[in-house]
Amino acid sequence: MKTLIAVSVITVIALALVSQMHFANAQLGQKVSEKQYINLRAEVWNEFFRMTTAAFTVGAIVSGTMIWLVWRFRESNPKNKTPTKWEKFDDPTSGTYEEGGH
Amino acid sequence: MGHDTVEWVFVAIVIAILVYVGVDSWIVQKAVEEIPADAETIKVTGQQWFWSFEHEDGTQEKIELHLIKGHAYKFEIYAKDVMHSFNIPDYVVFEDAVPGHVNHAWFSPDQAGKFPIQCREYCGIGHYQMRGTLVVEENKS
Repeated sequence: MKTLIAVSVITVIALALVSQMHFANAQLGQKVSEKQYINLRAEVWNEFFRMTTAAFTVGAIVSGTMIWLVWRFRESNPKNKTPTKWEKFDDPTSGTYEEGGH
Repeated sequence: MGHDTVEWVFVAIVIAILVYVGVDSWIVQKAVEEIPADAETIKVTGQQWFWSFEHEDGTQEKIELHLIKGHAYKFEIYAKDVMHSFNIPDYVVFEDAVPGHVNHAWFSPDQAGKFPIQCREYCGIGHYQMRGTLVVEENKS
């Protein structure tokens, strides 16, 4: 499973970067024939928008996960009626607690 | 699917995005900082409170800088007294001028016209008027 995930991750990154490499190569080819230089303004703004997209994606994943966690494990969720194997005590007060500790 | 698989997928997605951010930034930074071999060197000197320029052929200019559209220019940026910052906002040229140190920047103007040059580091009482003009002329050749 971990191998599959690793391979998927590498594939996604490679696909995301392939288009850029093609573009860079096309630019290099042009430079020789027409003497064109990269447009710094365009490069910097493009990078800014790509990074913003990445930042919002990470934000959405992290906040989405937290929202799901809070919703899924809320006390009132019917799925939580049955305690998990870690919570299932015959007598909830009979757990082992350290004396005087937290 | 065990609960640890979900965690691994979560971690993998975030790592993939972060790796993409790193690699992509590296590629763009490399492209942006690579000075073309045929760029003409221009010495830029900042001092209280004006900019002076020296072309490769020895031509000197003050406050106004005349360049040709479509050529690449590499700036060697010096400061004579205190810290300044050489900035041409329209062309994203922005580099500190530090006494005793040479900084570099490059660009290639793709539009003819007049563009503001300014100091972007507070350098004393006259900082606000430490401005210049970049005049980009059409390539006649």
